[in-house]
Parts: sequence; C-alpha cells; structure tokens
Amino acid sequence: MLESSELVRLPGAVALHARPAGAFVRAASSFAATIEVRANGRQANGKSILEILGLGADAGSVLTISASGDDAPAAVAQLAELVAGFS
Amino acid sequence: MVATNDRALVGLVIVSHSASIADGVAELVAQVAGPDVAIITAGGGPDGTLGTDGDRVRAALRRADSGAGAVVLVDLGSALLSVRAALAELDGEANLVLADAPLVEGAISAGVTAATGVPLADVVVAAEEARGARKL
Repeated sequence: MLESSELVRLPGAVALHARPAGAFVRAASSFAATIEVRANGRQANGKSILEILGLGADAGSVLTISASGDDAPAAVAQLAELVAGFS
Repeated sequence: MVATNDRALVGLVIVSHSASIADGVAELVAQVAGPDVAIITAGGGPDGTLGTDGDRVRAALRRADSGAGAVVLVDLGSALLSVRAALAELDGEANLVLADAPLVEGAISAGVTAATGVPLADVVVAAEEARGARKL
C-alpha cells in the first residue's frame, strides 16, 4: 500500500467551491486510492462533493491532499497540479 | 469508482413544485458536475403555477434514460406522488430510480458521481448519502 501527501495552495482568486470542487472530485474519483483533503482544520473524503464543499476552503488557503493505495503518488501529483492550475 | 469514458452517463431528473427551483438546481448541478451529465427538469404546475404536472413529469421521465438509466430527485409531497404514478405508468420502460434524498444536496452529489461514469446504483447511493451531510 502506497501513501502519498502534498501541500498545495489554492490560487488567489479561486475558492474550492462549485466548479473547482466538482472538477477536483471528478479527478479524484478516477483513482482507486482513497483520497483525503484537509483544510481549515477540517478533513474531507476527496471523492465526496458534499464533503469537499463542506471544507469551505477559500481562495489562497492551503490544502493537504493525501492518498493511500497503489496509485496514490499519481493521484496526489495530478490533484495537486489541478488545484495549483485552477483559474 | 474508476471512471469509464466509453459509455453513456447516468442522467438526472429534477422534479419540483417550482419551475424556478427545478431550473436553478439543474443550473447549479451543471456548474459543479460539468456539461456531460444530462439533467432534465419537470417543475411547476400545468399553467406555470406552483405544483406538479403529471404530463410534464411523465415526459421528463421518458426522456431521461439515455442508456445508463437516470436517478429521479423530488422536492415535496405531490411531486413524489406524481413521480410514483408516472413510474408506475412507465412500468419499466426506462431504467429509473427514485432517490430518497434532499433535492439540492442529493442532486449535486448524484451529478458529480454520474459524471465519473459509474453505474446507476452507485449514483443513487451518492444521492442518498446526502441525507447525512451536515451543514455545520
């Protein structure tokens, strides 16, 4: 079982709300690994849109993306790149 | 829950007493879930009033299944009765499941899950998981 984790900052103008949150969850769901996101002292299942929206992660806040599973490193790398590239 | 891109996605049907609510939920779900999930609405009564219109509900249900089935979400009372009556009339003509879920949260959860290409049963589970979603 592989574990991977990365910190990534949301771009200054993008909160993890509607469209970005949906894009994140759809991307996370394409991996077999379990994926967890932490922000603001809260944690969410990366494959649950309602939990991700519930994080209330505002623009500029730091997310910790963690994954556990065979494709965990690829999942974290791709999701961190997605978040960093939100505009 | 690994996505497959080579087949039809599960669709959504939104039934509300208010056309504005149905259209607004569809707009919000499309924003979050992306453009690939088909969302069909049946909102309001026959004359643009608040209520439900059995003919409109039946027509929406008939159009909703584009191959992978569709999950049906309703707001209150007679919307539920109209959908149940329409489903009984269609009698298995389409692969439709009524979800026991709150309309807004259930539709968003179902829409995003449908966009990942999973089967209808998984989309229904996602809709119904919204029952336990806390706001605070």
